[in-house]
Amino acid sequence: MGDFLFEMSQWLYTTPLNEFAQRVSESALSEWILSWFWTIPVMQTFHILSIAATLAAILMLNLRVFGLAGHATLGETAERYTRVFWWALVIVIVSGVSMLFGDTVRNLLNSVFWIKMVLVIGGILLALGYANVLKRQTLMAGGGVAAGGTKVAGIFLIILWCVIILAGRWIAYAPS
Amino acid sequence: MYPEPTNLWERIEYSSLGTTIAESAWMFPTIEVVHVIALMTVIGTIAIVDLRLIGVASKGHRVSLLAKDTLPWTWGAFALAAVSGGLLFVSKAHSYMINPWFLGKMALMALAGLNMLYFHMTTWRTAEHWELDPSFPPAAKLAGWLSLIFWVVIVFCGRAIGYTLGIYY
Repeated sequence: MGDFLFEMSQWLYTTPLNEFAQRVSESALSEWILSWFWTIPVMQTFHILSIAATLAAILMLNLRVFGLAGHATLGETAERYTRVFWWALVIVIVSGVSMLFGDTVRNLLNSVFWIKMVLVIGGILLALGYANVLKRQTLMAGGGVAAGGTKVAGIFLIILWCVIILAGRWIAYAPS
Repeated sequence: MYPEPTNLWERIEYSSLGTTIAESAWMFPTIEVVHVIALMTVIGTIAIVDLRLIGVASKGHRVSLLAKDTLPWTWGAFALAAVSGGLLFVSKAHSYMINPWFLGKMALMALAGLNMLYFHMTTWRTAEHWELDPSFPPAAKLAGWLSLIFWVVIVFCGRAIGYTLGIYY
C-alpha cells in the first residue's frame, strides 16, 4: 500500500499539476496565509469543528433511523440534521480550500489527498441520496420507520465519513 | 538505545509501550485518527446540547431529551478519546509535558469538566421547570457558552501542539 501511494505521489510530480501547485504556492494569497504562523492551525480548527458537526449530524440522523434516539418524526429529524450537515459542509469546503493555499504542494502532489477528494465527493453524493430517500420514505410511511436499505446506507455513510477523516490525517504521513 | 530516563515523563516515554508506538510507522497516525474521530464525536454531540442551552438551535426540543440522546455517545467517545490520547501521550510524554499548548489543553479539559459538573449539580436539577420556557435561565446559557468556548479552544490547542512539539526544550 505504501509503495502504491508513493508511486502515485511520484507520478503526480510528473503531471502539469506540479507546475500549477508551485504557481499557486507563490501566489499572494498563499504568501499572506504563510505570513502568520497561526493561520493554518486556525483554519484547521474550523475544518475540524465543521467535520465534527457533519459527523454529529450523520450520527444523530442514524440513531433516529435505527430508532435508538430522537423524539421527532423521521422527516423532521432528517430535515433538521441534513440542514446542519449541509451548512457544516460549506465550512468544511471553505476551510479546506483555504488550507490548500497554505500548503499547496504538499496537498496537491499527495496521493492520499486525491483519495480523500474522491471519498469526499462520494460522501456528498451518498449524503444527498440518503437525505432524499429519508424524505421520500417519510412521505410514504407517514413519519415512521426507515427501510432496511436506508439503514445500510446510513451505516455506510458514517463509515465513509470516518475513512475521510482517516485520509485527512494520513495526508501528513503519506510517503511522497 | 534510549538514554537513561531522568524524570517520570522520560521513564514513560522510554517504556516499551512508548517506544513501540514512537518507532512504528503506522501506530501513531492510526491512534491519532481514532483520537480525532472520538474527539469530533465528543464535540459534535456536546455542541447539540450547548447550542440548545444558548438558544441557537433545536429550539422546539426539550433539552433533557436532547441530553438523553447524546450523552451516552459523548461519554463513550470521551472514553475512547482518553484511551487513544493516553497512548499518544506515552509515545512523547516528555515533549508533551514541556509543551504549554498541551498543558493548556489539559487545563481547559479540566475546566470543561468542572463546568459540566457544576451545571449538572445545580441548574440541571431544575431543568423540568425551565426547559419548556422560551428563554433559559442565565446560568444555563452561561454553561452552554462556556462549554462551547472551552471545546473550540481545546481543538485549537490540539492543533497547536502539532505545530510546536519540537520547539520547547
